[in-house]
Amino acid sequence: MRIVEDNCLIVLPYTWHSIFNIIFIENGSNNFNNNGGSEMRHELSSPDQWLDLHGDILYRYAFARVRDSEMAEDLVQETLLAALKANARYAGEASERTWLIGILKHKIIDHFRKSSREKAQEFAGQFSDDENNDYFDQQGNWQVDLSSWSKPDTSLEQEQFLDILQHCIDRLPPKMAQLFMLRELDGIESEEICQLMSISTLNNFWVILSRTRLQLRHCLDLKWLN
Amino acid sequence: MLTCKEASHLISKKLDVKLTWHENLGLWLHISLCSLCRRYLRDVKKLRSVIRAAGKSDQMLPESFKLSEQARTRIKQALRKNMTDKN
Repeated sequence: MRIVEDNCLIVLPYTWHSIFNIIFIENGSNNFNNNGGSEMRHELSSPDQWLDLHGDILYRYAFARVRDSEMAEDLVQETLLAALKANARYAGEASERTWLIGILKHKIIDHFRKSSREKAQEFAGQFSDDENNDYFDQQGNWQVDLSSWSKPDTSLEQEQFLDILQHCIDRLPPKMAQLFMLRELDGIESEEICQLMSISTLNNFWVILSRTRLQLRHCLDLKWLN
Repeated sequence: MLTCKEASHLISKKLDVKLTWHENLGLWLHISLCSLCRRYLRDVKKLRSVIRAAGKSDQMLPESFKLSEQARTRIKQALRKNMTDKN
């Protein structure tokens, strides 16, 4: 019983719905990215249930980073197959979902590493900017009208905002979108992203990222009016 | 004095690396006089915090964003095949 009490303490900021799930259903696996109580031992469900239990979450996780549905599907499959192999080594420290996401993270990194090795030369062009769409005049002053957007507060606003954000990210060149998501979503260090995506210098990386932020902010400005 | 273009670059860079004291001073001077760049700084920070929070709670994409039936079937088959190979 003590374990359950500990869990409740950890879980307080979450909704009653997830508290219910954590106590009565899956001992923490509903709680995304939660490593669970350290004293708790998790058990794996049968592998033929994995797809139904976690498939969509894994798919969204992968898609948010690779921005390609086919690739995201393949990554889910690779992850589940790898999990099947590593089944026996599962120590029960993390929940099943956290464990699967951990495997998926490695698969995503591998994917970027492989694809940048295969087509290293092509990469330079894929980051290219649309120079016609410049945000500054010749003196370097802002030449777009900047309205400030407020941070989405309610959950409905949040949902709408994220919807628009997805739309704006989809309009970026794919490599720019991937790089931006790795940096913002996972906070992967600049040097590591440069290596992963074959970007030759940190300076280039900052230029690309700065350009991406300008473009995204501009898109949000147009679509997210408050 | 930095231009807004240069300032926007430093603002973005500031989110990824510690700026040199020289860069920081230039940016601070510019920002204290330029409301558009202050707004830009606020917006890119907001953008980051919204994305991080959404990522942590699986909200980056709506729940309706799911594996297609074809993909589901394909993955199931691959899993079954591997499970029988294993036994």
